[in-house]
Amino acid sequence: MRRREFLKGTAVLANAAVLGNLAHGGQLGGTSCPVTLLAMSDYRRDLEKEIAAVMTADGLALKGKKVLLKPNFVEAHPERPINTNPAVIAHVAHACLRLGAAEVAVGEASGHRRDPWFSVLNPKLRSILDKRVKCLDLNHGDAIATPNKGSLTGLPAFYLARPVAEADVLICLPKMKTHHWAGVTLCLKNLFGVLPGIYYGWPKNVLHFRGIERSILDLARTIKVHYNIIDGVVGMEGDGPIMGKAKPVGTLVLSPFSLAADATAARIMGFDPRKILYLVQAGRFLPGLRPEDVVFRGENPKRFATQFDCLEDFKRMKGGPFF
Amino acid sequence: MISAPENATLTKRLTSLILPGGGIPYYKGGGPSAEPTHLALLALWASGAGGELTRPLLSWAAGLQNPDGSVALNPEHRDQGLWLTALSAIVFHRLGLKEARDRALGFVASLKSVTVANDPKIRQDNTLTGWPWVRGTFGWVEPTAWSVVALNVTGLGSDPRAIEGLKFLLDRQIPSGGWNYGNPGLNDRELLPFWDTTGLALIALHEQTDMTGVRASLEFLERSQEKIESPCGLAWAALSLETYGRDTARLKQRLLGLLNSLPDDGLNAAHFAAGLIALSGKKVFIP
Repeated sequence: MRRREFLKGTAVLANAAVLGNLAHGGQLGGTSCPVTLLAMSDYRRDLEKEIAAVMTADGLALKGKKVLLKPNFVEAHPERPINTNPAVIAHVAHACLRLGAAEVAVGEASGHRRDPWFSVLNPKLRSILDKRVKCLDLNHGDAIATPNKGSLTGLPAFYLARPVAEADVLICLPKMKTHHWAGVTLCLKNLFGVLPGIYYGWPKNVLHFRGIERSILDLARTIKVHYNIIDGVVGMEGDGPIMGKAKPVGTLVLSPFSLAADATAARIMGFDPRKILYLVQAGRFLPGLRPEDVVFRGENPKRFATQFDCLEDFKRMKGGPFF
Repeated sequence: MISAPENATLTKRLTSLILPGGGIPYYKGGGPSAEPTHLALLALWASGAGGELTRPLLSWAAGLQNPDGSVALNPEHRDQGLWLTALSAIVFHRLGLKEARDRALGFVASLKSVTVANDPKIRQDNTLTGWPWVRGTFGWVEPTAWSVVALNVTGLGSDPRAIEGLKFLLDRQIPSGGWNYGNPGLNDRELLPFWDTTGLALIALHEQTDMTGVRASLEFLERSQEKIESPCGLAWAALSLETYGRDTARLKQRLLGLLNSLPDDGLNAAHFAAGLIALSGKKVFIP
């Protein structure tokens, strides 16, 4: 399903007074959404302590909790920054241990490649993780049928990988990338990776059929994410999420609010989040799209603001300057 | 060829994963699932294991079959994982459950991928019918290859669905060699091939095509051998190269070493079983 069909479906719902005004009205506002930018010029810099401090300042309580980190692994390419960098995953995992988490696991259901050797079971990732951190291949394992709290896909339930359904705290760790169907892929899009491939296939084509944006929005309503950290140290511009080029930005974007993290990352990338349909729609039930609701901490966003190249179809989503 | 003591050690590790109810989970601690159980059954069959080992697994596997012939992912979600029915048909065929096999094949024959008009951005023929992962969606390489293998193994390789499945696979082949999940290219750029899907697709194409159609993929797999590091990748590379009569001694040696050294928490039972099938040298996925 493509944009036109999505818009058609949206219009039906709007007529039912579910979504209200499509473009800018009806945004959930009034919630102060902290977003912290940490400078990380390259992956050698260890930010474990800083990440732990920011998560604490944001009120994330991990003591005694079962924590699941959800990075973004799609497939592997030696020269393209497709996946969340293992160093970022390790820093966040170790920060969680530092904050007293009872269990920390890294889990992913890669969307293209079945072989977990190319994602969380890669020995290189395991070798830099504390031995207490588990690596879980979410593609191959049990799932819990969880009622879909959205209504856009028509799917009655999502089969969530059991470790996702059973985690006390879910931390989303996407890569800052352009996306050839959705414009950008950040925290909200990263939730596709909590659905096991043995239920949804490789790629998760049933979500494409139901509409990528619709699926993103239904998942955003259904899955509780407790914290978000976007790997924008080196992002991907152009023909993302696989075939694009490296785009060094030098920052991590941290926030308890998925949409605030996504909107901020989009602005850093030179995209206007209010022109990205699924972010606008998410703004009706999640706080953080409106710039006036975002409270910046850490580095000044101007320091990282840039322009990501993108496919022609998405140039209309560009905007700025925002900071 | 794997030695008898090595085979016994690996088989013991595989069967140690059998749960009290009869199935095998993907990873230790998980619930039973069809794919690792099916591949374990084929590994045991290939290694010449007796009925006392295979019977409880086979009984569990047969219990996953739905009245329409499809096979479920697991007992909890009987409407999920229909793509596994082709693999089940191979298992039922090899282990002599003829009626269950025929019902599974009937379902495989009825399951068709959705076709759509061709898109100039994607250089592939979207009007070809293959097999989907999930009912009502597009066709992809792996479920199509499994279905073609099932039809070939059971003597139905000349069925029109199998013939179109072969066309589908050849169409989805990356021009410079290999297969990924099922898009050879996008916007005039080739996408990357994967070891496992390349191996499986080559096996599916073994019986029905002349070598020119798959030469680039075979060469890709042969020249990439030393780069393959995963149990899954090594298993499918060995299985497919052996099918084409290529030397797999070095691949198998590395596969054996890797299977022996896998930690429990990194052992995917389906991949481990595929490795055992590859090491057995027995023809499991070709007639």
